[in-house]
Amino acid sequence: MTLVFDLKKKMLSSLNFFKRSIIFNIGFSIITLFIILSLAEPIINGYILKGQGVLKSGTFDKYLPPSLEHPLGTDHYGRDVLALLLASLKNSLLIGAISGGIATLIGVIIAMAAGYLGGKIDETLNGVTNTVLVIPSLPILIAVAAYTRLNLILMCIVLAIFSWPASARVVRAQILSLKERPYIDLAKVTGLNSFEIMFKEILPNIAPFIGLGLTNAIIGAIFAETGIRLLGLGPGEIPSLGLMINWALAFGALSLRHYHILLSPAITLILLFTSLSLINIGLEEIFNPRLKKITGI
Amino acid sequence: MREKIFYYIIRRVIIYLITLFLSFTIVFFFLRMIPGDPVTRFVRMIEQRYSFSPMSMEAINVWKASFGLEGDIFTQYRRYLERVFLNFDLGPSFVAFPTPVQDIITFRLPWTIFLLGLATVISWVIGTIAGAFAGWKRGTKIDSILFSIALATSQIPYYIAAVLLVLLLSYVFRVFPPRFALSLQANIFSLEFMVNLFYNSFLPVLSLVLISTFGWLLSARFITISIVGEDYLLFAQAKGLKKIRLLNRYVLRNALLPQATGLAMSLGFIVNGSYLVEWIFQYPGVGGLLQFAINILDYNTIQGIVLMSIFTVLTANLIMDLIYPLIDPRIRIGE
Repeated sequence: MTLVFDLKKKMLSSLNFFKRSIIFNIGFSIITLFIILSLAEPIINGYILKGQGVLKSGTFDKYLPPSLEHPLGTDHYGRDVLALLLASLKNSLLIGAISGGIATLIGVIIAMAAGYLGGKIDETLNGVTNTVLVIPSLPILIAVAAYTRLNLILMCIVLAIFSWPASARVVRAQILSLKERPYIDLAKVTGLNSFEIMFKEILPNIAPFIGLGLTNAIIGAIFAETGIRLLGLGPGEIPSLGLMINWALAFGALSLRHYHILLSPAITLILLFTSLSLINIGLEEIFNPRLKKITGI
Repeated sequence: MREKIFYYIIRRVIIYLITLFLSFTIVFFFLRMIPGDPVTRFVRMIEQRYSFSPMSMEAINVWKASFGLEGDIFTQYRRYLERVFLNFDLGPSFVAFPTPVQDIITFRLPWTIFLLGLATVISWVIGTIAGAFAGWKRGTKIDSILFSIALATSQIPYYIAAVLLVLLLSYVFRVFPPRFALSLQANIFSLEFMVNLFYNSFLPVLSLVLISTFGWLLSARFITISIVGEDYLLFAQAKGLKKIRLLNRYVLRNALLPQATGLAMSLGFIVNGSYLVEWIFQYPGVGGLLQFAINILDYNTIQGIVLMSIFTVLTANLIMDLIYPLIDPRIRIGE
C-alpha cells in the first residue's frame, strides 16, 4: 500500500517538475525527439537503404533532389542524405552522452573530494581544475585526431579529458554552499563520518547540479567533436554531423546549389545545441528559484 | 591592511605561475603522446614519394637535435622549458624551418587580433547595452523576445554560424566572398586596401559577432536584473531622477564591472572557437598557421600557439583579479 502511495507521489512530483519550466520542456522535447529518431534509426534506414550500408557509395544516383523516396535527396556519392543524417545524429548523441558521462563522473568525484574535504586538498584539486580549464583543447584534440586512429570509445575518452572541469566547477560551488547548511552539522553531531555525509546527505542534494554539469559537459563534447569532424578528421567509418558538413563543403554541394545537403546537418546541429542550452537554463530555473524571478518567462 | 594586500598579490601571482607551468606541462606531454615526429615523418614522406633516402642518418639526427627532438622525452621537456622560460624562445618552427616560432606567430598575430578584437568589441558593446535594456524592461514583450532569441542561440558554435553565413551570403546571395582573398602585399594605408579588407573580413567577423552578442546579452540582463532589486536604485528612483540617467549612471555603470570580468574570462573560449572560423574562411591569422602546423605535426608551432593562448587567458585573469579590489569597494581582501 505504501509502495503504491510512494510511487504515486513520485509520479506526481515528476509531473510537477515538468510544469515548472517552459524553457526546460521545449529543450527536453527536442532532445527526446532526437533520441527517438536515433533509436528508430536502424528501422528507418533499413527501409530507406534496403539493407545497404549507409556509407556505401553509388547505392543511388548522385545528387537526386528531395523526393518521396529520398526525403532529403542524395549526395555526391549517391548516398541517401536522410539515412546519413539519422546515422550521424545517433553517433553525435552517442559521443556526447558517453563522453559527457565520463567527464561528469570525473568532475563529480573531483568536486566531491575537493568541496567536502576542503583545505589543502580543495586548493590543489581546484587548482588542477582551473589549469585544465585554461587549456585551449580544440587545437590539441585536432592534432591528436589527425595522427591517431580513434574509434568511438577512444574519441569519447579523449574528449572527456578536457571537458570534465566544466562540471567539476558547477558541482563544487554547490557542495561548498551545502556544507554550511545546518542539517550537515546535525549529521556530524549524529556521528556520521565524512564519507557517509558525502554520499547520504550531500550527493542526493546535488543531483540536479550534476544534471547541469552533465549538459555542460555534453555541449562541450559535441562542440569539440563537431569541430574536429568539420575538418574531416577522426574516424571516417563513423558518420557524424560535423563530418557531413565537411563533405558538403569539400565536394562543392554549395557551388552546385544543393543547399539542403549542408542545411540538413547544420540545422540539426543548431536544434541540438539550442535544446541542450534550453535544458541547461531550464534546470537552473527549476532548482535555483531565485533565478526564476530573473528569467521570468 | 597593507600587509594583507601584499600577501594577496603574492599569493595570486604564485598561483598564476603554477597554473601557467602546469597547463603547459599537460599540453607538452599530451602532444608527445602522438606517435611519430615531424622530422621522421618528413623524411619518410620523401622516401615514399621519390623512393630514395634524401639524407644520411647523421644529417637526420642533427636536424632532429636542432628541432629539439634529442634525447628522451624528459630531456626534451627540460630543454624546452629552459628555452621558453629562460630565453623566451619558443624554438625553431618546422613549417618555416628554422624561423623561430615566436617570429611566425608575431607575423600572423595582427590578423587574429584584428578579427577577434573587432568581433569582441562589437558583440560586447551591443550585447551589454541590449542586455541592460532588456533587464531594465524585464517582463515586457521586447524583453521576452530578446531573451528567447538569446537563450536559443547563445550555445550555437561559431563555426556553424560561419558555415550558414557562407551559404546565405556567398552562395544564395553572392554578396561576400566565401574565402578570405586579400593581397597582403598591397599598400595597407590605401583606400582600396581598406575597402577590400572590410569586404573580405565581413563574414568572419559577423559569424563571431552573431553568436557571442547573445551570450553577452544574457549575462548583462542577468546582472541588470539583480541590480534593479538593490536599495540604492530604489533610493535613486525615489529621488525622482530621470529614467535615462538611472539606466546610464546606476544600472549600466554597475553592470560594466562584472561584464568586463566576463570578458577576461571568456578570452580563451573565444580563441578556441575562432580557430575553426579562421579555417573555414582560410583567414591568414594564427588559426591558419595552426592548420599548417598540425598538417606536418610541427610540435613547436602547435605548442607555441597553445602556450600563447594560455598565457593570454591567465594574464587577463590575473590583471582582473589584481585590479578588481581597487575598483569595487564591496570586495575586501582577506575576507
